[in-house]
Amino acid sequence: MNASIKIAVALLISLEISFTKSISLNIALIICAIIYLLFKRVNWKLMLYSILLPILPAFGSWSSLYFYGTGDHVHMAFVLLTRIFAYIWIGSCFTFTTNIDDLLKSLEQNFRLPNTFVYGVLAAFNFLPRIAQEVKTIRLAARMRGEVLHFYSPQIFFKAILTSFNWSNNLAQAMRSHGFAEGKRRTHYHIIKIPKWNWLVAASILIAVQVFLFMSPFH
Amino acid sequence: MQATKQSSGWHLRDVIMLTLIAIFFGFIFWVWAFAYDAVAATPLKPFANDITLGAWIMAGPLAGYLLRKAGASFLGEFLAAFAEMIIGSQWGVSTLLSGLIQGIGGELGFALTGYKVWNGLSLVLSTLTSTIVTFGYDLYANGYASYSFGMLVTLFIIRFISIGFFGGVLVAAITKLIDKSGILNR
Repeated sequence: MNASIKIAVALLISLEISFTKSISLNIALIICAIIYLLFKRVNWKLMLYSILLPILPAFGSWSSLYFYGTGDHVHMAFVLLTRIFAYIWIGSCFTFTTNIDDLLKSLEQNFRLPNTFVYGVLAAFNFLPRIAQEVKTIRLAARMRGEVLHFYSPQIFFKAILTSFNWSNNLAQAMRSHGFAEGKRRTHYHIIKIPKWNWLVAASILIAVQVFLFMSPFH
Repeated sequence: MQATKQSSGWHLRDVIMLTLIAIFFGFIFWVWAFAYDAVAATPLKPFANDITLGAWIMAGPLAGYLLRKAGASFLGEFLAAFAEMIIGSQWGVSTLLSGLIQGIGGELGFALTGYKVWNGLSLVLSTLTSTIVTFGYDLYANGYASYSFGMLVTLFIIRFISIGFFGGVLVAAITKLIDKSGILNR
């Protein structure tokens, strides 16, 4: 399925479940997401990660509403518990099956996102591993001078911004020297088209969610 | 450096810089999420949420302040949320929704000044609008509507202090360091 459509459907559904209070819908969404991921043969370690990761925040949400809430709080506590798992699994349906290249290419070709944004974001995302390394380097360099940097130290953010500033200058110049022109039409080697069935599937999923919500036995 | 004219006024270098900063923040947030879990696993979760929230809205005001463009604050926050989701956030796709809401909240403060004032005042406004918008969203999305009025007031004040510290005081401290270094040449 096309990456932009997939993320749009995921976002719309999660926006909807932020406001609805149906436990059965949340559970149904989780089951559908798991089936989809199994069908896509996603690595079981990633699946396990998706199960374990939300346990703590989900339990926290459940217990705080259970103990501090008023009114219909027991029901809401379970709504939140299932909602957090639904968020994670719907998110996994996107992040485990699609990569950022596909999403950006599709946004450029199918939805006319300006190429400055597409290639700027793409260039920056390719630096992800170097950024993780850089954060470590900044902290280690500070420790060599006997300073310990915390996430609330302005210095760590300042250094991060300095690095971003330098890298963005270099990257932008490098891209221009390789012939990238802002706002000019580009031709594409890899052409992305959205087949009709993608729209149909997306619409059916969204309609199915509304029908389920309307018909579900207990809210 | 050669610059091509574009209606939005966004250049390649700005986009790359904003995204790099967003990823840096996304990475720092991602580490921070584990600190949050220590408190969030207990019934103290709502307090954990509001005490730590400020850290997540930092990217917005900072991006707005650095680039001084309409939409910079929103994009900075949204991209940071996107980066966090890609790295592997424990909140899944809701990270993106929160980023969207927080981005709108932060952006409103700068919009209120008509993008003409870039000082302490616009930062204070931005932290205030962030608090109000994110709190309004949490009334629904995090079940806050089920809390008693007293609890809500407490949480609102805690959240404002947190956002005020991270999005206001800390951002101001960072921008001071940047201004002193002179890299932006304004």
